[in-house]
Amino acid sequence: MYIVIAGAGRLGRLLAERLKEDKHQVCIIERANFLCNELAENLKDVLIVQGDATNPEVLKEAKIEKADVLAATTSSDEDNIIICNLAKELFKIKRTVSRVNDPKHMLLYKHMNVDVPVDSTSIIARIIEEEASFSDVMSLLSIKRGRLSLVRVDIPKDSPIVDKRLKDIKLPPNSVLISIIREAEIIIPSGSTKILADDDVIAVTLIDNEKQLIKALIGGV
Amino acid sequence: MKYIIIVGCGKTGRELALEFSLSFNVTVIDKSLRSLDSLGENFNGRKVLGDVLDVKVLEEAGIRDADVIILVTGNDNLNLVVGKIAKEMYKVEKVVLQVYDTVKRRIFQNKGMVIVDRTSLLVEVFKKCIL
Repeated sequence: MYIVIAGAGRLGRLLAERLKEDKHQVCIIERANFLCNELAENLKDVLIVQGDATNPEVLKEAKIEKADVLAATTSSDEDNIIICNLAKELFKIKRTVSRVNDPKHMLLYKHMNVDVPVDSTSIIARIIEEEASFSDVMSLLSIKRGRLSLVRVDIPKDSPIVDKRLKDIKLPPNSVLISIIREAEIIIPSGSTKILADDDVIAVTLIDNEKQLIKALIGGV
Repeated sequence: MKYIIIVGCGKTGRELALEFSLSFNVTVIDKSLRSLDSLGENFNGRKVLGDVLDVKVLEEAGIRDADVIILVTGNDNLNLVVGKIAKEMYKVEKVVLQVYDTVKRRIFQNKGMVIVDRTSLLVEVFKKCIL
């Protein structure tokens, strides 16, 4: 794929490196001259365009019309929104992804048709919240904009499913247990696998059934 | 009486606010208290301190009841983004905004907003003075 990144801050640079490792073609647009020079020295085979990415001429220089994806990673939300807007309306880019700097600006991103606004502040806050609370349940990942969720559940000793075989456990619809972490061992379970206390269970569920699933796994609540 | 919101209380915003507040309901939004204070004690309108990219601030300023919104911050992209939101999401009847960059006026015109391109405007005035 060909990906254009607007903004060579920490996020933009890391993203460029990762995408390059995955053999994608990458172009990075950055306003600051010194950052462009630094990039040119450190990143091989990445097209670097110096300029303001909210200027269509600069986007053209980055060959935006050939891009499969545009990622806006600048620290200014109004700039990110305009960049995504230009990419979509002027250059017909199908997929725009943007960093959201201030969660309060999320609604604007959504209204202005940015395909995937990534609100890192809220994501990090949620992770810290989960890590800080002594909960047995941890949301690992949500897919399809949060409709599907991957959870890790630490099975307590008083759980109703302890010592039961998987085939005898009744789970809510649209939920599957996909693996069990038992001390250092990873088990891909079958119907006859028995759940033990202190197992870490990884499960996939539709978000609407998450609460039911957790109830089935740890009981109570 | 017409209800006008002015976003950005720099030199232009301030002059507009002071003049319009003589005959209309005016609310001025700016992120700097000092700028709002520059309106002085005789300013006969409402002042809202806050970030206009946060729709709560726009709503607090009464954007749902506004007949006109004027965007005169020094940031073209901010003016354009908030202008589009005002037009499309809040259906404000008249959206007037300033840009410095002539290219941006060309791209965003015909979206139901009046875009005043400061640079070409000044160039025209200078031309008239000289020729």
